[in-house]
Amino acid sequence: MSLISTILRRLVLLVFVVAGVAIITFTISHLIPGDPAQLIAGDKASAQTLAHVRQELGLDKPVTQQFVIYVKQLLSGDLGQSLRTRRPVAGDIALFLPATLELGIAALVMAIMIGVPLGVLSAIYKDGPVDQAARVVSVAGISMPVFWFGLALILLFYVKIPILPGSGRITLGIAAPPRITGFFLVDSLVAGDLKAFWSSLYHLILPAFVLAFANLGIITRQIRASMLDVLQEDYVRTARANGLSRSAVILRHALPNALIPSVTLLGLAFGDLLYGAVLTETIFAWPGMGSYVVSSIQTLDFPAIMGFTIVASLGYVLINLAVDLTYMVLDPQIRELG
Amino acid sequence: MMLLRRLPTFAAFAALTAFTFAGPSWATDKDVLVIDKAEDPPTADPGVEVSNNGYTLIFPAYERLVKYDGAKTEVIPELAESWTTAPDNLSWTFKLASGHMFDDGSPVDAAAVKYSFDRVKKLAAGPGDMFPTVKDVVVVDPQTVKFELSAPFAPFLSALATSAGSIINPKAQEHAVNGDDAKAWLAEHSAGSGAFKISAWERNQQITLDPNPHYAGKAPAFKQVIFKIVREMSSRRLQLENGDADLIDQVPVDQAEAMKSSAGVVIESNPSLYVVYLYLNNKKAPFDNPKVRQAISYAADYKGLVDGVMQGQAEQMRGAVPDGMWGHDPQGMQYSYDLEKAKQLLADAGVSNLHISFTYSQADSAWEPVGLALQASLAEIGVTMDMKNVADTTKRELVAKGDYDIATGAWTPDFADPFMFMNIWFDPTKMGAPGNRAFYENPKVTDLITQALATVDQKKREQLYIDAQKITNEDAPYVLLFQKNDIFAMRSSVKGYVYNPMLIQVYNIADMSKSE
Repeated sequence: MSLISTILRRLVLLVFVVAGVAIITFTISHLIPGDPAQLIAGDKASAQTLAHVRQELGLDKPVTQQFVIYVKQLLSGDLGQSLRTRRPVAGDIALFLPATLELGIAALVMAIMIGVPLGVLSAIYKDGPVDQAARVVSVAGISMPVFWFGLALILLFYVKIPILPGSGRITLGIAAPPRITGFFLVDSLVAGDLKAFWSSLYHLILPAFVLAFANLGIITRQIRASMLDVLQEDYVRTARANGLSRSAVILRHALPNALIPSVTLLGLAFGDLLYGAVLTETIFAWPGMGSYVVSSIQTLDFPAIMGFTIVASLGYVLINLAVDLTYMVLDPQIRELG
Repeated sequence: MMLLRRLPTFAAFAALTAFTFAGPSWATDKDVLVIDKAEDPPTADPGVEVSNNGYTLIFPAYERLVKYDGAKTEVIPELAESWTTAPDNLSWTFKLASGHMFDDGSPVDAAAVKYSFDRVKKLAAGPGDMFPTVKDVVVVDPQTVKFELSAPFAPFLSALATSAGSIINPKAQEHAVNGDDAKAWLAEHSAGSGAFKISAWERNQQITLDPNPHYAGKAPAFKQVIFKIVREMSSRRLQLENGDADLIDQVPVDQAEAMKSSAGVVIESNPSLYVVYLYLNNKKAPFDNPKVRQAISYAADYKGLVDGVMQGQAEQMRGAVPDGMWGHDPQGMQYSYDLEKAKQLLADAGVSNLHISFTYSQADSAWEPVGLALQASLAEIGVTMDMKNVADTTKRELVAKGDYDIATGAWTPDFADPFMFMNIWFDPTKMGAPGNRAFYENPKVTDLITQALATVDQKKREQLYIDAQKITNEDAPYVLLFQKNDIFAMRSSVKGYVYNPMLIQVYNIADMSKSE
């Protein structure tokens, strides 16, 4: 099957996924008892005020009609208005998502930068001290709750040895860079504001590390396993026999092949990172989607929850598609079998 | 290998970066006050905002006709210098003080007052309920404004001191889009005559207030006030202890206890008018029988809850009107923890093998332990109580529909008047969501509170409310548990803070300063 037909097929599937998610979240949110009007008008609102707010939100209409309106809005890219922040959900997501993506990408880069060398080293020195140490790090990363680990690091590097900031995206008093992408690192560079750039980078270190650490184990173990497989292959032995140095064989021949199975893993890991970001953001007062979603769930802010679920599922499907496509490019066999 | 060889370079770079930015923290600056808040305020619009979290911004940015006098719940002039009431109590005329200006330099006049009240009424979004009987606002002359009421409303003056009574610059209307009366703009900006104005708002991150250069009062000590949004309590605490925040709010009792030993930190704990109580479903058997309701009231371990759950940071209620508000009856009847009496009352009511449910949410951290304690007490007198933990909006919906046995409640008055308790909790026309959540009706009580609402003389009103409480205490439609202390923590360098029980999460930042 060709690349193009695969993409087309997956995009059609995407429509069904989003439609399914919309129906499920809408149904659930309307099954849970709760009056969104009261959330807006307050605990002591009079009956007239509640009726007025309900009418304003269109909640006085039959549920089926509300669903039709919701779908119509959805098709025009309108995710409705948040009950809690009173702002368009799409605008809120556009505002908070970049912060989460910046954190997630930084964590992924960190996890790869530490995890890949660690995995390679533990494969080369199998059962040696490096391998053992890597094993401990992996198990610790997978089993330590993000919540606890984050607070422990804040206590260590913010309170005991105060060299890193404990919260926020940028130092108080330094203006955030003008918003272009919403990524502080990118925007500050575009604006040529080095002070903001360093401050943002500096604020990223702790939360990104906490988030990376949880995924480090999976990446390390995966790289180690596929590296061990590849090192057994005939072509590696041939390359060595031909006189290539050990490091050249590992870096130029073994590693690229060992990385292929890891691509899938990275796609999944990125999903995990976004999920882990919810807790990390809460601890580090990181103004991203995580804290937005937690607040929305706590107040049963349906439009916000539904909007986020739809965008998240869309993102998941697209990342999976990207992973599969990368895979096809890297490994021609899949294209033929697919 | 290649990566490893570069490691020292990376480490040196990291260290350099760290030292460059680990300079003195911003919060130690004497001119800047940093307050850590748990949640981003929903809006700063006096016409729509109903949360204390939003009042944090609205109070310093706007002035009102009258204001609370320091720590007291009586009101004194703010924008109005004097006022008169017509003999029939159907109109109030206010004379505005001169010299008050909005943050753009335009004067606060009668037209601005009219604009603000017309807008609140038109938006009908919650704050409008503060002035249920305001029919019309008339501009008499630029310095005089008249309110016409459709019926006498005794707490009117007190209601003017609330967030809903904030006076907005009519020029805000220029920011209106699609007929929203500038709702979108005023949600994140301010247009008031208060000591401060909102100068920047980064959602979920921080809000910056700058002084209003045209403010009529004394110029504030702070050049800037920053509200930082830090959801996690442990993080807020570390920020305060490290000196990166000057004040943090919403401190749970256990954390307050732990922070007492932190150097440079002061714990402020003040008796508030925030009450925690239980609704008993009066229209549903067996709670339609006063004896059963009294039995439940005798089964609550008040002292245990105050000392254990609240660690002493609360006081048992005595009647519906809390201590600290006029209309409170210091001689009023108080239920005690008496299981024998409770058992006897149930037997008198002819009720046995009672199986009930307790509906609560996590919105108030005291509710679950209160339920568990009550469950244990009731088990001793043969009553089985199931704990029903639901989302807060779900709880409200179940209560509004009367679909519960016992449910948890918490209440704060919006204005300093016993009306906020008596004419809401016990008014049969406000059953369900609006406030009479026990679905209680006693014609004698209805009569007394209706009289009190139409009476202007405060002494007479107070007596009517105390008489009504004598009956409601006996009828026990609610289990009156305790009134909480309001706890927050600040650096010892912060001076001039005055707590007013009507202004929860509102800080008098215009009068505060820092000593270092």
